[in-house]
Amino acid sequence: MKQERFVALHRREWDSLEAWLKALDRQAKRLLQQDQALDFPASYRRVCHHLALARGRGYSHEVTERLQRLVQQGHQVLYQPPAPRWHRVIAFLVAGFPRLVRAQWRCMLAASVLFYVPALVTLVVMQLRPEFAHTVFSSAQLAQFEKMYDPANTHIGRSSGTDLQMFGYYVMNNVSIAFRTFASGLVFGVGAIYVLGANGLLIGGVAGHLTAIGYGGPFWRFVAAHSALELTALVIAGGAGLKLGLTLLAPGRQRRGPALVAAGWVGAQLALGAFAMLVMAAFVEAYWSSIAALPDVVKFGSAALLWVLVLGWLWRGGRAVKHGA
Amino acid sequence: MIDTVREIETPEGVCLRLRAAGALPRAQAWMIDLLLRFAFLIMAMIPLGLFGQGGKGLALLLMFALLWGYSVVCEVWLGGQTLGKRALGLRVVNADGTPVTWLPSVVRNLLRVVDALPGVYGVGLACTLMDPYARRLGDIVAGTMVIHAADLPAGQEIPALAALPLPLVLASDEQAALIEFAERAGQLTAQRQEELANLLTPLTGQRDTAAIRQLVGHANWLLGRA
Repeated sequence: MKQERFVALHRREWDSLEAWLKALDRQAKRLLQQDQALDFPASYRRVCHHLALARGRGYSHEVTERLQRLVQQGHQVLYQPPAPRWHRVIAFLVAGFPRLVRAQWRCMLAASVLFYVPALVTLVVMQLRPEFAHTVFSSAQLAQFEKMYDPANTHIGRSSGTDLQMFGYYVMNNVSIAFRTFASGLVFGVGAIYVLGANGLLIGGVAGHLTAIGYGGPFWRFVAAHSALELTALVIAGGAGLKLGLTLLAPGRQRRGPALVAAGWVGAQLALGAFAMLVMAAFVEAYWSSIAALPDVVKFGSAALLWVLVLGWLWRGGRAVKHGA
Repeated sequence: MIDTVREIETPEGVCLRLRAAGALPRAQAWMIDLLLRFAFLIMAMIPLGLFGQGGKGLALLLMFALLWGYSVVCEVWLGGQTLGKRALGLRVVNADGTPVTWLPSVVRNLLRVVDALPGVYGVGLACTLMDPYARRLGDIVAGTMVIHAADLPAGQEIPALAALPLPLVLASDEQAALIEFAERAGQLTAQRQEELANLLTPLTGQRDTAAIRQLVGHANWLLGRA
């Protein structure tokens, strides 16, 4: 068939499809419910057929380019991914996320070791040799920590600022650290190892120093509650980063590209879960941890409860409930 | 291949051709996004400044959202385009050619941290230069790519001249070349048109302007014009 005849035969269909797709850009919802929408898949498939014919018969660019453009637009409308649903977010937080963390337990274990071992070692060393504080921190930093956790303060854990300000600060700071820990894992895991180790060292150092000089009371009262969410989220983000670096080094039986895509898929979900945990942690840290006036029982009781809840959630969440036979 | 076109076969069995966007337009789009975000933050700081300390907290939350959330939200809700990408006619697509979805968008934007590594997007630049589809590391891990969404300048209509039947039967690729010549002749200088048309003197028996006219006439005949 000559090109002119082909175009004359089908031009009307192409025009109407083009017009419909163009209108869709502006008023998606209403058009998708029209009768024309029902006709769209069939019409789109016919145009695909026309494109294949036009290419096969070597018609001019003017025609093939136009058909290619139509097919490209139609493809994006027909194969649109389903819109996310809110209940899936909740299902992910309750079940999917803990399941994912357990599935990656080797990386999570490695991340915990990388974080908690330096933290505990510095914590103990600071008790035995308090002067080591000066090799880890500068004098100005030490003075600031001591001011923040002075037992005489009415608010603990901060020298100034309101709860809302500190909430914003914690979200910006802590979540950014966690995201960077995850992403820098792609540099053969080195970034994640460094961030985990360095944070372990610093946090252990602060805790050890303050305990050694007798400011331990306010410090532990402040950090006990939110640390359950915050430290666990940091370890999870670090574990996801390690997984990414490990996949780059040893992709196993897959090629590197597909293996990395799979690891990135898992890592992104872990990073999003860690994000949710850190926002909760920031909330607790800003509005609960900073209250100095509560008795120790309430403070440490709530902290213990939070630790049990977080670890229990990660351990049991998303397991199928066993029914009796 | 110098071409950065990636062909994707759709379920209907036809090939979609996606044109990968290189480092320069992407850097420009990123720059526009950066300036927009910066301007927005400054504008928001003015009313937030009235709230004192609490306003500072809200400003930090806003900064966080602009830093980590802006690209993801824009890409997912605006069909793969942040405002900067829209200005430059770029679009982020999944491996199957559909606009980017939530998780891939999160991955590619989180891994920006690595692509930006020695301060000035060194890793990302090196990666886009090496990858056949100009993807940076984040794109490779997320399974996405950035394409030119704007249309190419369309081929011109072939000038309508009296159709001349071809004196001999040409192979289909030769016919296509002839049609393509007629289509693009308008974009070339007269000298170049003549130069190309003169190559076919054995077929047309003419030279220069007459040869061009005859070739366009043949093209009209091939298209089936009366």
